[in-house]
Amino acid sequence: MNMKTQIACVICGAAFVALFTLGWIIIAGLVPAPSPSLDAAAIAKFYGENTGAIRFGLLITMFSASLTIPWIAVIGIQLRRTERDFPVLTASQLVAGAVTVVFLTVPIMIWTVAAFRPERAPELIQLMNDFGWIMLIMTFPPFFVQLVAIGLAIVSDKHERPVFARWVGYFNIWVAILFIPGGLLTFFKTGPFAWNGLLAFWLPLTVFFLWYIVMFFALIKAIRTPASA
Amino acid sequence: MTDGTITAQAPADHHAIPGEVGVWVFVLGDMFVFGLFFSVFAYYRGLDVELYRASQATLNQNYGAVNTLLLLFSSWFVVLAVIDVREHAGRYATRLLGLAMLCGIGFSIVKIVEYGEKLGAGIGIMTNDFYMYYYIFTGLHFVHVIIGLGVLTYLVSMVRAGVESAGELRIFESGAIYWHMVDLLWIVLFPLLYLLQ
Repeated sequence: MNMKTQIACVICGAAFVALFTLGWIIIAGLVPAPSPSLDAAAIAKFYGENTGAIRFGLLITMFSASLTIPWIAVIGIQLRRTERDFPVLTASQLVAGAVTVVFLTVPIMIWTVAAFRPERAPELIQLMNDFGWIMLIMTFPPFFVQLVAIGLAIVSDKHERPVFARWVGYFNIWVAILFIPGGLLTFFKTGPFAWNGLLAFWLPLTVFFLWYIVMFFALIKAIRTPASA
Repeated sequence: MTDGTITAQAPADHHAIPGEVGVWVFVLGDMFVFGLFFSVFAYYRGLDVELYRASQATLNQNYGAVNTLLLLFSSWFVVLAVIDVREHAGRYATRLLGLAMLCGIGFSIVKIVEYGEKLGAGIGIMTNDFYMYYYIFTGLHFVHVIIGLGVLTYLVSMVRAGVESAGELRIFESGAIYWHMVDLLWIVLFPLLYLLQ
């Protein structure tokens, strides 16, 4: 039994949330997001005035993103217990999870590039800023697939003592659905579906953190639940 | 699939809450999101009532009304199917679910015709705020209907295999609950988009 190692992986998930909040929201100040309706000069001013904080905050955010790797691995290991001979949902979760790490990391890189030379042409800063935000939010599908795979695996667990409570499965599917409005940001620069809007940003961000809290306790419980027939 | 513990303990607490607890987590969660959608709509409508009224006048209320009836009937058929499975071992459930699915397919056809008419008239998602909400809300609801048709198909396969244990009955009821939610969401969407003055 390597229960302690598994619990350490779960704690990586909690550490990700803490460092991601610290770096991205508190230090870099990228949340609340600069409105997509701002002109190039205003965006360039934002990067020009907060250059140091953005660089340092994003460095922490960058580090935090990779802490989701052990977190996704431990989800996979526990999910494996729910499936019988051919664990395809567990495999889907792992592949999708790996892609979400990429799409969490690359936008941070792109904003870092924007903050690297804040004196360059404002249009270019705006371009990088757009690129980062659109890439972060519109790439919800791998995360969607990851959550649906987790949800389906939990709900189809036929063991006498299921590894996860069934409601955790339905919860995962619900969170997946809440990320769909993010895909609409390409049409809007203002309103609830813009990348700083209620339905494309604040709602997914809230349930994203809620998902970490629920999965944190569900995983700890699963790790401590002995295997059943 | 059928295991002793569930069968033994289920009949006693069965009528306390139909379906699984988990499906209620999902249903309440989904209804919370649509509630949020409706609040957002009401807020922005308040900022520009004239535009919303003028755009609403171009919607065809008959399509909306027909679809409301179709979903209400389909929900009724699903209720009858659940009663049939509970009390008569599912003798008519396949046919009842088939009727419910026909209503769902009818809803989809009406919706597609309606979208086609609007798009043909040059009214799209970018036309104005009212139509943005119209397409997004009815579109997301439409996705729920399509998923619901899949769920009803699954229920038919359950009836064919025989719904025997209390655990299976609970899964069957969960599918029915989902379909009622799809109906309920439309019952709020219809007046909000088509009728609200």
